[in-house]
Amino acid sequence: MSEAMSKGRVLVAMSGGVDSSAAAALLVEQGYEVIGATMQVWDYSECDIQEGAGTCCSSIDVDDARSVADRLNIPFYVLNCEAKFKASVIDPFIAAYLNAQTPLPCVNCNTYLKFDHLIQKMEELECDFLATGHYAQILHHQDGTASILTSEDDWKDQTYFLFTIDPKIIPKLLFPVGHLKKPEVRQIAEKFGLTNARKKDSTGICFVGNLGYSAFIESQVSPEVLKSKKGLLKRFPSGEVMGEHQGIHMFTYGQGRGLGLTFHEKLFVMKIDPTDNTVWLGDEKYLYHTELELKDAHWLRTIDPEQIYNVKIRYQHKGAPAQLEKTPSGFKLKFLEPQRAITPGQAAVFYKDKELMGGGWITP
Amino acid sequence: MRVYLDHNATTPLHDKVREAAAQNLNFWGNPSSIHWAGRESKNILRETRACLALQLGCQPLEIIFNSGGSEGNNTVIKSVWTKLSSLRNHFLCSQVEHPSVIKTYEYLQSLGAKVDFIPVSRAGLLDLDFVKARMTEKTALISVMMANNETGHIFPIQEIVRLAKITGTLVHTDAVQALGKMPFHLHELSVNYATFSAHKFYALKGTGFTFVKRGSVYESLIHGGAQERQRRGGTENVFGISALGVMAPFLKDVSAKSLQVRKLRDSFEKKLLETIPKVQLLGTETDRLSNTSSFLVDDADGETMLMSLDLKGFAVSTGAACSSGNPEPSPVLLAMGLTRIQAQTSLRVSFGWENTMAEVDAFVAVLDSVVQRLRGLREQRLVGAHV
Repeated sequence: MSEAMSKGRVLVAMSGGVDSSAAAALLVEQGYEVIGATMQVWDYSECDIQEGAGTCCSSIDVDDARSVADRLNIPFYVLNCEAKFKASVIDPFIAAYLNAQTPLPCVNCNTYLKFDHLIQKMEELECDFLATGHYAQILHHQDGTASILTSEDDWKDQTYFLFTIDPKIIPKLLFPVGHLKKPEVRQIAEKFGLTNARKKDSTGICFVGNLGYSAFIESQVSPEVLKSKKGLLKRFPSGEVMGEHQGIHMFTYGQGRGLGLTFHEKLFVMKIDPTDNTVWLGDEKYLYHTELELKDAHWLRTIDPEQIYNVKIRYQHKGAPAQLEKTPSGFKLKFLEPQRAITPGQAAVFYKDKELMGGGWITP
Repeated sequence: MRVYLDHNATTPLHDKVREAAAQNLNFWGNPSSIHWAGRESKNILRETRACLALQLGCQPLEIIFNSGGSEGNNTVIKSVWTKLSSLRNHFLCSQVEHPSVIKTYEYLQSLGAKVDFIPVSRAGLLDLDFVKARMTEKTALISVMMANNETGHIFPIQEIVRLAKITGTLVHTDAVQALGKMPFHLHELSVNYATFSAHKFYALKGTGFTFVKRGSVYESLIHGGAQERQRRGGTENVFGISALGVMAPFLKDVSAKSLQVRKLRDSFEKKLLETIPKVQLLGTETDRLSNTSSFLVDDADGETMLMSLDLKGFAVSTGAACSSGNPEPSPVLLAMGLTRIQAQTSLRVSFGWENTMAEVDAFVAVLDSVVQRLRGLREQRLVGAHV
């Protein structure tokens, strides 16, 4: 296409999955000049991902992205981001689990790679926009700023992972599939004859193989460090010792299975204490709390402390009304109703109706 | 606009190769067959072999056709190991060889071979004192490339041969980058082995040949066929060899072509230094191929420069870790003592016979705009980070 006809040049982040592939196809159809890029983020040669099983970014996925770009006849590049990904996603992921937290690696990937490294590439390659296959929408305001809105597909909405975005770059973002539902996205991929139209949704964390995250951490950390994370299982609140565990990285708040208990009483992880590695187990009723402390809060729009916002405390959480209070060290958040398993390391993300307002990290 | 400046990666097809292609498809017979169909194919092999031998200064039967440089390098090194390791199990090889040489030696190490890798200086000069110190009566083979693919540096093969004669060591040179870019005479050089690839010489991929000096140990990598006098099993790639045969007569023009390309390269380097500040040419004081220019661009990322140039139609390459799935920057540049950060800013331009001065001028102008843009953005980021 001639440049005069183009609606602008777009760098589209292509994971090889159906969402970003359909996004690229739609942009081509809409008359943008499209450049595809895949971030090579991790050495998958040791991963035991089965062919076609498809988590987000295996090297098979790089091939899929390349094939889609070829089909759409757009330039395509693989960007080497392995060192950056290790430093800003993998290392903090491991450190969090070893420190009794449950991390959100996708947010770090968005913060430090997709919406930093790729924004940089977008500028360097003289692109006007950066597009991704996220299920999210953009609302442009008269003053030139823009907001992120939740996607039409509530089930797939991914705005929870976008709260750290620099508000200045939102006007330059395109989410071409954010107004669609997943079946429609697959239809678009079919229509364009993209090889991955029927590819399975990515569900897990892209760099964690089939064996699960604790096996991943065990493969990355020295035996001495793992040994130092062993501790006791204690009953909350009595303190009765119920057994031993092989490492705090195997537990998350609210977990009710795989606790290594031999009897049938239904107990849940209440709290993990990184100072002595104690994992506290208790009745489900103790999981409910109304308050949490936030650190490193990041706001996309101005927050009004008087107002009640809908706050999600994990990706699958439906959201619950809560009010914010400024404290000397950060923010305190009070829910109107108690919430189950408020988990350190996860994010509390704020919405005003459909509008993503920002969020912060839940502290222990 | 499309300008191809990456001839050390591969060359475009020569017009004569294209023109002859349809005719050459008539040679579909099996060269091993006795009948007319086989004879026609066999003739193509013979003619190509004879022409190459004439132009390169060797005997026709010293040329073995194969699939290219990587196969050639593997076969030479593994042959010498198989035939001589009981007597001599030490090998020498430069640190800047092609991976098909370095990785084959690493494989031999796993089988028990002792291998020393010869360092190079920042200027790209081979450490001959290292060679003198390490080469003994136990050294079976020394591998030093005729010219380096990334920097274009030409290595002193005659000096290597002189030293090797003292210890009775065999000499192998990977001449893939030299073919068509510099004149040489194989018998005068007196190496035992030289490996070549057709696709760096305006012919087709999947075709190459190895020179094996008469009397040098050699063993087929592929068993099961009597082709190439039992030195390379498998039915010959007649079509690829016929394309090489089209190019072989052009070897007599290499001196003239090389001068023509040198004018482009030298003009490019002069304009580059005049136009873009903070650019450093690599190893210009050392003897280089006339077509290659390797340089560092301060404060600009090689991978991004390559993509930006590609989007504007210019094909070059970089020693930066990048797209090709290489997590590490160029081992050649690192061996020359460059830092990783410097290697990340490297670009390689390699000119060919079809390039023009107008293309050189257009390229310098586009590179200048790309570098200015990238440096400007970098500056903004640094300022932004301090606000």
